[in-house]
Amino acid sequence: MNNETWEIGGKKLKSRMLIGSALYPNPANMEEAIKESEAQIVTVALRRQSAGEGGGNNFWDIIKELNINVLPNTAGCHSAKEAITTAQMAREVFGTNWIKLEVIGDQYNLQPDPFETLKASEILIKEGFEVFPYTTDDLVVAKRLANVGCKILMPWGSPIGSGQGLMNPSNLKAIRKQFPELKLIVDAGIGKPSDAVEAMQLGYDGILLNSAIALAQDPVKMAKAFKYATIAGRLGYEAGTMQKREFASPSTPTVGTPFWHQFS
Amino acid sequence: MIKVSINGEIKELEENLNVKQLIEALNYKTKGFAIAINTTFVPIAKYENTIINDGDTIDILAPVQGG
Repeated sequence: MNNETWEIGGKKLKSRMLIGSALYPNPANMEEAIKESEAQIVTVALRRQSAGEGGGNNFWDIIKELNINVLPNTAGCHSAKEAITTAQMAREVFGTNWIKLEVIGDQYNLQPDPFETLKASEILIKEGFEVFPYTTDDLVVAKRLANVGCKILMPWGSPIGSGQGLMNPSNLKAIRKQFPELKLIVDAGIGKPSDAVEAMQLGYDGILLNSAIALAQDPVKMAKAFKYATIAGRLGYEAGTMQKREFASPSTPTVGTPFWHQFS
Repeated sequence: MIKVSINGEIKELEENLNVKQLIEALNYKTKGFAIAINTTFVPIAKYENTIINDGDTIDILAPVQGG
């Protein structure tokens, strides 16, 4: 395991993978997959609950036992007002000022609404939240979010749950280049470990994923695969990849080539 | 009696209940939920001073799985 730490939202972490807690075949499988991933941030949500369910639940007990950072989301919100109310409720329930801000603008591809996301970000930051905004790979939107005080940006790889990987690596690269000081997480659309490697090789600080693990044939094994993919991608980025060349170039020394090669 | 919506269900309540009394009346025993009335968050500190009115829409939310 990589022992180097990095910082996000005021916390020092080793893992650069943020994992979701939804869609697993069962709670035990979720727990095992999260443990296997060695992720130190898990996303959670809030939904209506009746008194019959006790005002508490098995799910939340499992997450608390894991003793890792929780990142509540505002999934399902369609306006800044809804997202702000959800964030305020999440802060009280989960005891954290972190919020994964999701304000959806289109029901077909669950694309974030940049205008409402921006509006909500500005207000939530003033209220003391650490906002993790889910956004598209639009550079200007990223700029606006940074201008209102976002220190973290989470552009999508592709639509939520699609598993399409990185649709626009060049856009993601441009955001990385423009905002070296911000923490950047590729959120949504990651489908397979190689997508995680690609995102990390672009210099992104981390990845956030859920469906790719939870919907795998073997979620626990896939969690492990993503753990290594995230590390591999980061190490690849830090090591610096070679320049591509148009033509072949031998890697074995040509000096001292035996005579029979010279005539072939 | 007043009529309110609680998590999408219409219910009849006594008049002049505050949020603390509402939670007790609904039999919420443990912590781990948050309340919004008419889409505005009501923090715990304001439970006793917040009166439920006829026609209010009350949402009681608790932790669930999320991505």
